Amino acid sequence: MTETNSSAPRTWLRDLRGALVYPLTSNGRLLTTGVATGLTYVVLVLSAFPQFSVQVLTRDPADLAYALPALTREVYLGSGWLGISLVVAYALLTGIAVTNTVALVRHARRAGASTLAGIVPGLLAAGCASCGAGVLGALGFVGAMAALPFEGNLLRIGGIALLATVLGRAGDPRTCSIDPP
Amino acid sequence: MGPEDTITRRRALLAGGGTVAFGGTVAFFASRSGSDAQAYVPDTVRPSEETTGFGVDLAGRPIAGESDAAVDIYYWTDYLCPFCKKFETETLPKIGRDYVDPGKARLLTMSYPNIGEYSTPAAVWSRCVWDHVVDTEPAAFWRWHGAAFAAQSESGQEWANDETFTSITERTKRVSAVDVDACRQDRGDTVRASIDTDVAMAQSARIQGTPGFVLYNRESDAAGQIVGAQPYDNFADALDRVSEA
Repeated sequence: MTETNSSAPRTWLRDLRGALVYPLTSNGRLLTTGVATGLTYVVLVLSAFPQFSVQVLTRDPADLAYALPALTREVYLGSGWLGISLVVAYALLTGIAVTNTVALVRHARRAGASTLAGIVPGLLAAGCASCGAGVLGALGFVGAMAALPFEGNLLRIGGIALLATVLGRAGDPRTCSIDPP
Repeated sequence: MGPEDTITRRRALLAGGGTVAFGGTVAFFASRSGSDAQAYVPDTVRPSEETTGFGVDLAGRPIAGESDAAVDIYYWTDYLCPFCKKFETETLPKIGRDYVDPGKARLLTMSYPNIGEYSTPAAVWSRCVWDHVVDTEPAAFWRWHGAAFAAQSESGQEWANDETFTSITERTKRVSAVDVDACRQDRGDTVRASIDTDVAMAQSARIQGTPGFVLYNRESDAAGQIVGAQPYDNFADALDRVSEA
């Protein structure tokens, strides 16, 4: 079967749907997605003000219960409902990407090194997309997110688009995709 | 593909419910507004023009507390910073009551404009208000300062403009909006240079966000740094440690 350019977006959407529902195929995968989503949200929100987060958690890790709501409120006040919604979407997509990546890596290890090398660029792209917002703060740019276009929401949308692209390209990790000639 | 690899209704409902719960929890914390506590107005204000052991020239910089307090709290802030508002309403009144008013610590306000376009003009307003009231009624500055943070809006930075700050200044007792505006026009460049000095001090102290603090023991030269609107207990511990250092 050959695919035309016009059917490529439809194929990508189908593969994206397959990737998004893959965590629903077992209790373990669903749990992995939930844990990865939660951890990603924590990291994204804490990275909104890394110096504060490090000081608070170093003094008493239990103060995560103070830092997380405080910084959630800060992200909302800094970038609005759109900003905080994008962070939630970002965390959810990353949770799914982590689950699917675990499956892909397991599959690749069984299939051989060349397949593993093939998925590495995708993993790097997803990883960079996830850390983008936090790196600016960690580098010490005061007010970095506020200074970015649309209070950093453009960067978040870019990261989400990159994650969706990676998920759509990989599709359901259980299926083998054959690229058209 | 085994039978366990199928999408069940139970798992779909669990995932949907979990997503809604996750989003709802985030929305709850995002929309939960902070304390409406009264802004802190210090009992005593002793203006000074000395240069402290930490290297801060106090001339023109708002101060609260006794001049012989053992610890200096250098406080970098931005009137557009929501985290600074959280500190001002939830933590500063307690620090004021327990450390500044009893004469244990002195609070020195420094500017670190970093949030929006009006951050620097707001800092200039602040300095000019202090300059105007320092010799007559310095406590008026702290009433103005509290009103400026109270004016912060929950959405965007559009609230921060000349009109809002003029209104705050006009409403603050013992502050002349005309005189403050004259300072902004006539001495704006000098004030902005002083604000640049504050920013340089913050950067040399490795403050990477507002609110930012350096706690400095004036006798022993010991110093500690705190960043962000941390819980009161963290400030109390740090103040106790620096004062004993």
